[in-house]
Amino acid sequence: MNAKASKTHVTCIEPAYYEAITEAIRKEAVQILKDETVVGVVGYLPGRRKGTASPALVTTAEEAGKLIFSPACVNNLSVYLTKAKKGVLKKGKVGIVAKGCDMRALAGLITESQLQREELFIIGVVCPGVYGFGAERTGTLTEANIARKCRECSVHLPDGADVAAGTHTELADLTPEEAEEMARIEAMPQAERWAFWKEHFSRCIRCMACRQVCPFCYCEQCLCDKNRPQAVESSPRPAGNMAWHLVRAMHLAGRCGGCAECERVCPMDIPLNLLNRRMAKELKELYDFEAGLNPVEKGPLNQYKEDDDQSFIK
Amino acid sequence: MSRIGVFVCHCGENISRTVDVEQVAKAAGEIPGVAYSCDYKYMCSDPGQTLLKKAVAEHKLDGVLVAACSPRMHEKTFRKAAEAAGLNPYLCEMANIREHCSWVHEDRGMATAKAKDIVKLMVERVRKGKSLAPITVPVTKRALVIGGGIAGIQAALDIADAGHKVVLVERDPSIGGHMAQLSETFPTLDCSQCIMTPKMVDVANHPNITLFTYSEIEKVEGYIGNFQVTVKHKARSVDEKKCTGCGVCMTKCPKKKIPNEFDQGHGMRPAIYVPFPQAVPNTPVIDRENCTMFQSGKCGVCAKVCGPGAVDYEQKDTFTVEDVGAIVVATGFKLYTIDRKPEGSPIQGYGEFGYGTIPDIIDGMTFERLASASGPTGGKILRPSDGKEPKQVVFIQCVGSRAREKGISYCSKVCCMYTAKHTMLYHHKVHDGQAYVFFMDARTPGKGYDEFWRRAVEEEEAVYIRGMVSRMYQRGDKIVVMGSDIQVGTQVEIEADLVVLATAVQPQDGADLLAQKLGISYDKYNFYSEAHAKLKPVECATAGIYLAGACQGPKDIPDTVSQASAAAAKVMTLFAKDQLERDPVVAKVNEKYCVGCFACKKVCAYGAIEEKEIRDRQGNLVKKVAYVNPGVCGGCGTCQATCPSKSIELDGYTDEQIMAMIEAL
Ligand SMILES: Cc1cc2nc3c(=O)[nH]c(=O)nc-3n(C[C@H](O)[C@H](O)[C@H](O)COP(=O)(O)OP(=O)(O)OC[C@H]3O[C@@H](n4cnc5c(N)ncnc54)[C@H](O)[C@@H]3O)c2cc1C
Ligand code: SF4
Ligand code: SF4
Ligand code: SF4
Ligand code: SF4
Ligand code: SF4
Repeated sequence: MNAKASKTHVTCIEPAYYEAITEAIRKEAVQILKDETVVGVVGYLPGRRKGTASPALVTTAEEAGKLIFSPACVNNLSVYLTKAKKGVLKKGKVGIVAKGCDMRALAGLITESQLQREELFIIGVVCPGVYGFGAERTGTLTEANIARKCRECSVHLPDGADVAAGTHTELADLTPEEAEEMARIEAMPQAERWAFWKEHFSRCIRCMACRQVCPFCYCEQCLCDKNRPQAVESSPRPAGNMAWHLVRAMHLAGRCGGCAECERVCPMDIPLNLLNRRMAKELKELYDFEAGLNPVEKGPLNQYKEDDDQSFIK
Repeated sequence: MSRIGVFVCHCGENISRTVDVEQVAKAAGEIPGVAYSCDYKYMCSDPGQTLLKKAVAEHKLDGVLVAACSPRMHEKTFRKAAEAAGLNPYLCEMANIREHCSWVHEDRGMATAKAKDIVKLMVERVRKGKSLAPITVPVTKRALVIGGGIAGIQAALDIADAGHKVVLVERDPSIGGHMAQLSETFPTLDCSQCIMTPKMVDVANHPNITLFTYSEIEKVEGYIGNFQVTVKHKARSVDEKKCTGCGVCMTKCPKKKIPNEFDQGHGMRPAIYVPFPQAVPNTPVIDRENCTMFQSGKCGVCAKVCGPGAVDYEQKDTFTVEDVGAIVVATGFKLYTIDRKPEGSPIQGYGEFGYGTIPDIIDGMTFERLASASGPTGGKILRPSDGKEPKQVVFIQCVGSRAREKGISYCSKVCCMYTAKHTMLYHHKVHDGQAYVFFMDARTPGKGYDEFWRRAVEEEEAVYIRGMVSRMYQRGDKIVVMGSDIQVGTQVEIEADLVVLATAVQPQDGADLLAQKLGISYDKYNFYSEAHAKLKPVECATAGIYLAGACQGPKDIPDTVSQASAAAAKVMTLFAKDQLERDPVVAKVNEKYCVGCFACKKVCAYGAIEEKEIRDRQGNLVKKVAYVNPGVCGGCGTCQATCPSKSIELDGYTDEQIMAMIEAL
């Protein structure tokens, strides 16, 4: 669904750019509600506090006129279609505002039979980036307040959307902090790397916010909540925490599109997206596969090919 | 489960040599919930089984563990014994302390400790085990045979004679396959057609056989006992029901000079034809590529002369769906393409032999046609270029076969014998002629085979030269054959009038595509694979599909017929029961928690998983979940390992059982 955009040296994105996207979204959303193409649109409304945004399902043209897009629109809205607002799909086609990273989730959910392309009207956002967690919300996106994932985003253009909101802007070539951090961890001796993750995981309080926000954790009963038999200890103790994080990493491998929502919502600042990215790198190296670029029939972990890498069998 | 019995077997000395079985039994007795334990010399023996049955009754056991050999050996034995004692057979398990322990370890102390551990965790599996009932699937007592060579004919006749309906599908306009083309057959030299045609007629007349010629398999769905096969009936352009087989159309067709496939291109046939006079059915087909009516719209002679008005230029391909319970695949072979490298194939041609450019270099099947009384020369050996009788004939064995560098490393099995046969036939027909054979070695295992070969050498004066041919070329009206005689260690050069190549036997074109439709496996050459090279030589790994004849590997007629009858016997065994019993170790879906991601469906190699709709009382779709067809599930457990939310489980290997086993360690 997505394509890569080129980057040049521009350091900040002015509010005007977001306002233009907002206009385009409103126009489109009002239109499709009026002509009854869709029964509702999942998008963002202004939050109660200034400079914030909150996800919403709008069902009238009037409400649709209030939709916004700003650097505060961090949430991956695809999660609403498989969890919170899932019922709306029963009524008919639904519109959804999607950034490039959200589109990757949509493609993955289509692959996994959770959504069907025909039941969606995708208003794709030509997204220059959103705020990082705890960053200063000035209305202007700068190198200082942009999210880590956005520094290395490769899916600015919402290819495969029904309509695109926004025009392609030239983007800054920022230092890839996350990639650098990943390289740093990879370079550690094994024991040190183990200690690094052990320390992080030991702080997990098992609030399960990461799971709740993840578009792919749509299981009706998570393996980690099963108690007959219990595979993962549910109280926040080191062994169970480790097991939970390994389960999460493995279950999301080949599926996670890198929206980094899990990391954003984690109250304990556990760098979950580093793990996600590491798994994604593995998939890319082993199978030349990147999750969510297109809906596919079968992901590489769900199929066997004779030339699959077998070097791990010792 | 609280009253488990553990029976530790010595297996003669196989286990007790390295494992202290008494100690293992004693330790087992101390596991909570184990009500009885003992050791015994041979648990599988009659007294051993009696011991088990008695203990179940005496100690009111509700679960049984036999610590002995691999379950592959004796699981059935002990489950039967447990069942006889009144237990559900699936509450009886085996702990493998032979292959997994005594056979692979030397240290008695450590081996004993390991055996105790194996027993300990298997006790947990028994404890969490559930009673299971065997799965039954209905069986459609109707068989499909694909390919109407001698293999398919034999299998179809055997099954039909046993009283079951058979559908025989043949790709060509007539059944008969390669055997119909042969002149006389080794090792007895009886006339091939004389023994073949009565069988072909039997097929046509058998009340239980439906014959579809000029037809192919389009699609295969279903599973053992319940296949739905779509058959494509190619347009013959002749209505089979109206045609009386009088053959007037063939004599009147103005297009007469089309090389006849049956005679390997050395005889001619019209555009509307039957492949050979004894063809079954005797209904002609129009070869549309060569028919003037189809090519230019002008002619129509055959339609005009046909009394019953059977010729139909408008006929289209039609399709039928056949319900069958078993399938016999008998698609036979083709001969190696000798002149060139087929595109996209690892097989190298034999350009150096000049086949295809020198007309008097022919293959073995062409020689069969020249020697056949019904062939293009009326059974006289006359060479293709000028129709002269050849006085020096060179036969070359192993062309393509056993030549790794040419792409085939196997032996084609029949060439040694038919080459010997060819030298004899030649000698019988051309008394003053001389046959030479270049060979690597003569492979003649088989009843009467070596005697047959010796007769060719000793009585029929064939000269056998051990060595290979490197080059052949035309000089005047002779073919110069240059080779080596490795026994004498010299180069030889023979001026031949005719050269016959014993070319390799290969699977039919499209064998791989058919295999994919059927879901059966094949080797790198496209020969179909049997389930076990020794113990299941006619079964495919896919249940309900059987193999017969040269499609599985090169074979002569006696072997082909034996295998065909064996495949028929397997089909009859399957049809002997109304219901098919299957091991209930199959996957089940927890519909409450399944979210319908269908990861399981994607990984299931057996195609056992379908999508099922869950609806509420008003009929509204609530959700879609996975459904396992128990008739198809092979019990591999791949889905269980794949499902993220663990909503699908294999009976007998539930997560609960596996986790309990892990925890016991
Ligand atoms: C030159 C030569 C001489 C021989 N001489 C002897 C001999 O003297 N004695 C002896 O014992 N053996 C001899 N053989 C071996 C003998 O020919 C084989 O053992 C025998 O023909 C094998 O029979 P079959 O039914 O397996 O295959 P085939 O005879 O090849 O029959 C297969 C049939 O299946 C059909 N078919 C193929 N694909 C499909 C499809 N997809 N769908 C439907 N139908 C299909 C074909 O049209 C064909 O009718 C000789 C072989 C050769 C090459
Ligand atoms: S962690 Fe795994 S089992 Fe749990 S909700 Fe996510 S995908 Fe499902
Ligand atoms: S694992 Fe995290 S980054 Fe990946 S899709 Fe889920 S929420 Fe987004
Ligand atoms: S959000 Fe953070 S603290 Fe909560 S379960 Fe996930 S990793 Fe643990
Ligand atoms: S156990 Fe194997 S064969 Fe059975 S449904 Fe699961 S994957 Fe398919
Ligand atoms: S993998 Fe599990 S959740 Fe997904 S469809 Fe299969 S049984 Fe259901």
